[in-house]
Amino acid sequence: MPEAIEIQLKKGALELCVLALLSQHDSYAYEIASRLADAIGMGEGTIYPLMRRLQTDGLVETYLEESPSGPSRKYYRLTEAGKRSLSSQKASWRSFSGAVEDILGETQ
Amino acid sequence: MTRQAFLARLREGLAGLPAHVITDIVADYETHFADGVAAGRTEAEVAAALGDPSRLARELRAEHGMKRWEEQRSPSAAGGAIFALLGLGAIDIIFLLPLLMGVLGAIFGIGIAVIAVFFAGGVVFAAGPFTDPPGGPVAALLAGIGMMSGAASVGALLTIVVIGLMNALVWYGRLHYRLLKPALEPQGAA
Repeated sequence: MPEAIEIQLKKGALELCVLALLSQHDSYAYEIASRLADAIGMGEGTIYPLMRRLQTDGLVETYLEESPSGPSRKYYRLTEAGKRSLSSQKASWRSFSGAVEDILGETQ
Repeated sequence: MTRQAFLARLREGLAGLPAHVITDIVADYETHFADGVAAGRTEAEVAAALGDPSRLARELRAEHGMKRWEEQRSPSAAGGAIFALLGLGAIDIIFLLPLLMGVLGAIFGIGIAVIAVFFAGGVVFAAGPFTDPPGGPVAALLAGIGMMSGAASVGALLTIVVIGLMNALVWYGRLHYRLLKPALEPQGAA
């Protein structure tokens, strides 16, 4: 069942990836969606329910910025709570993936 | 699917939410189409990458319902959240339904009983002393107060239980779309 494993892995990583992208620089949904769609192959439509949930949880907030071409654009940035959540999620991801790596290495 | 068809199905799925929420959500997806076309993709490609608009609408509705419950904690918000959860259409939520109905029925029954005991306590308190009760008028007054405060405390406990139950349901519902499974499946399947 390689597909099921892949879905489970992506599901766990998606929120972490969004928070990590936003920690590099503020971004808008299309940019986030296309970066993640290319990198981890998630459906682009998924990003909007996820962004709304992150907003509900107070991890990200939005602001409008004038765009040189066309109407102003909705940008997302991390809140303080979002930054804290990112660093704790990052730490648990690292320790988990490190442990998995070790075990995979032993079986080679 | 064209942009028009996608947005129409999305709107259809969101019907019943407050107008400003629908406008907000639809604007997000409109921008997405505009950005996609500006990046050189066709409307059909953008729509295919976004996934099924009806399913997206169901998840967004569920999120909205649960958010309202968390903000307001009112009976109508609770009802809305329950309906939004059912709308997710996950098969195990449907299996859960008979159990949920039983629990809700029991809570409703206890609620009615609490109210009845409270009013009965009021009657004993007000009318008891004049009917020559066993133990004298003071005993009737105290019995009435006892019944009313007992009913009030059971009622308070019941409220705590109901709020806890709703929170558990919301947590359970979120499990279902945090999985994001259909959107992560190969896009040909949609």
